[in-house]
Amino acid sequence: MMGPQMGYDRAITVFSPDGRLFQVEYAREAVKRGTTAVGIISDEGVVLLVDKRITSKLLVPESIEKIFNIDDHIAIATSGLVADARVLIDRARMECQVNRMTYSEPIGVEVLAKKICDHKQQYTQFGGVRPYGTALLIAGVGNGRPRLFETDPSGALMEYRATSIGEGRNSAMKIFEERADENITFEGSILMGLDALYEVAKDKLDASTVEIGYVKREDAKVKKMDPEKVREYVERVKWMHKEEEKDKGEEKEE
Amino acid sequence: MQPLDDKKQRKQDKKVRFLILQPAGFPMTSGEEEYPIVKNKKVFERYMREQWIGLKIKKGDYLFDGRMYPGFAFEVVIAEPENSMIDEETTILLEDDTLEEEKEVGIQRREYDIQFKDVIGQDLAKKKCKLIKKFLDEPEKFRGWEPRNVLFYGPAGTGKTMMAKALVSETNVNLIGINATNLIGEHVGEGSANIHRLYDYAEKDAPCIIFIDEIDAIALDRRYQELRGDVSEIVNALITEMDGITDRRGVCLIAATNMADMLDSAIKSRFEEEIEFRLPDRKERLEILEVYAKKYPISLSKDVDLEKIADSTEGFSGRDLTDKILKVALHRAILDDEKEVKTEYLNCALEELGEKKRKNVPDTLYR
Repeated sequence: MMGPQMGYDRAITVFSPDGRLFQVEYAREAVKRGTTAVGIISDEGVVLLVDKRITSKLLVPESIEKIFNIDDHIAIATSGLVADARVLIDRARMECQVNRMTYSEPIGVEVLAKKICDHKQQYTQFGGVRPYGTALLIAGVGNGRPRLFETDPSGALMEYRATSIGEGRNSAMKIFEERADENITFEGSILMGLDALYEVAKDKLDASTVEIGYVKREDAKVKKMDPEKVREYVERVKWMHKEEEKDKGEEKEE
Repeated sequence: MQPLDDKKQRKQDKKVRFLILQPAGFPMTSGEEEYPIVKNKKVFERYMREQWIGLKIKKGDYLFDGRMYPGFAFEVVIAEPENSMIDEETTILLEDDTLEEEKEVGIQRREYDIQFKDVIGQDLAKKKCKLIKKFLDEPEKFRGWEPRNVLFYGPAGTGKTMMAKALVSETNVNLIGINATNLIGEHVGEGSANIHRLYDYAEKDAPCIIFIDEIDAIALDRRYQELRGDVSEIVNALITEMDGITDRRGVCLIAATNMADMLDSAIKSRFEEEIEFRLPDRKERLEILEVYAKKYPISLSKDVDLEKIADSTEGFSGRDLTDKILKVALHRAILDDEKEVKTEYLNCALEELGEKKRKNVPDTLYR
């Protein structure tokens, strides 16, 4: 057997001699095959933006879901294997209801993230199963505070002020790190998120395939942005990039 | 008058002083003949001289053996002076006495026309190579502190082999390039013997650089080797040679791999320096594109925006840029009988690459 894994990637429950679980690492590669999803915290709330990548004209764009409403106050954006994502979403919705039934109150964002990750972790430790090939961005408002969690196939979770999953993660993170600002406005966060999506798709970024969901601090309710408004924002970002390029071109000529 | 006379004299009976031959094989074959091997060079010289005496030869001629192996040809590689006659005093040599040996371990020996400046980026590696150059130029300066073993690692196509070639052409020393897979051999014990022979051979040639490409084939971590069915003797042989138990003067080892993690820890620790070759950043990509586009046989259209290509090729290696984009675009232009390479050809090459990437992914599966 050739290749670096030498058989240590045959079963998820077997560590390689240098302490790696290759199947879990492969599952993270599955996430990189997914389209880009970004999440950003701002002073007013938290926003999720996704690019749905539509490859056929015949496809009904609305049939592709990337941002899911989990509870009144929590939304999840997914990237990776679609089918796995749906199962996790169902699970998350159920956890929310269980919490409401048991404690008569909405579930905390962090509690939900941990519950999902506990579930994901099980699939890295027992035989006969495979890990989920999906990463999630869990966004919501709890106790008046916007929260944003990223989970990966290993079941690890991290809280971010701005993060991204999917194929464009690296370029998106670069933008976020350069422009990180604790006092970013809600609108600013949307523009920064679209910039990140633009960085991946370039001119092919199309308003009909972009979906924006958000939870604001004031009402703690998940809302999807109106497609018309999405179009406005996307056009604005594209226009800005075009202007920038023009400037660059002029500088060159000078 | 004396000198002129002398010249005239020489012209009349120009004799071959040196004759260097290269075995060229039989003109025809039935697949049965054995390939003659020269055992005793002195006897060979006498034997051949006797047959060929009086023949007028020049470079490129073929000489045939007429007795032991009738029809076996030797090509004249060097005849000094040219167009002269073989006589009793001609020295006959085979091109390289070690030719057979080289063939056996699969050594490649070539001269390259590559300079350090042709390798774009990779400053760390360049610095180290300059040091090695210094060592090979004036070895006495180092006195026991010479650079010995250097490891180049990094993704494919980032210039590891090219850097070694550049080092050779800059230093004018011999490079013994060898692919690690050639060292393994067929039978147990062959691999380690090959490595010792390689070093013996290098020592004769010192100062010289041994360049082992894809070293992971022989220096795999010993705990993985068992799984693959390798024998750890090769690693052991390599370790002893790298340590220099037998003092190999003026021999410098450069090894290249793209799986540095998988190397045996004992071997890794013997590399005094591990130099990473990184994928080029935007600036380096642009430089690569510019440098190589200048080498196009037909000109590059003026409206081509190489910066844009550099922008959209993040994660590409140097080889990807030259072979998968520039070369493909050039081929298209040649196919269309164009006089210059236009933007559309480059874009086409880029897009095709992107499509290939996408085609591999069943996109309804991942979102």
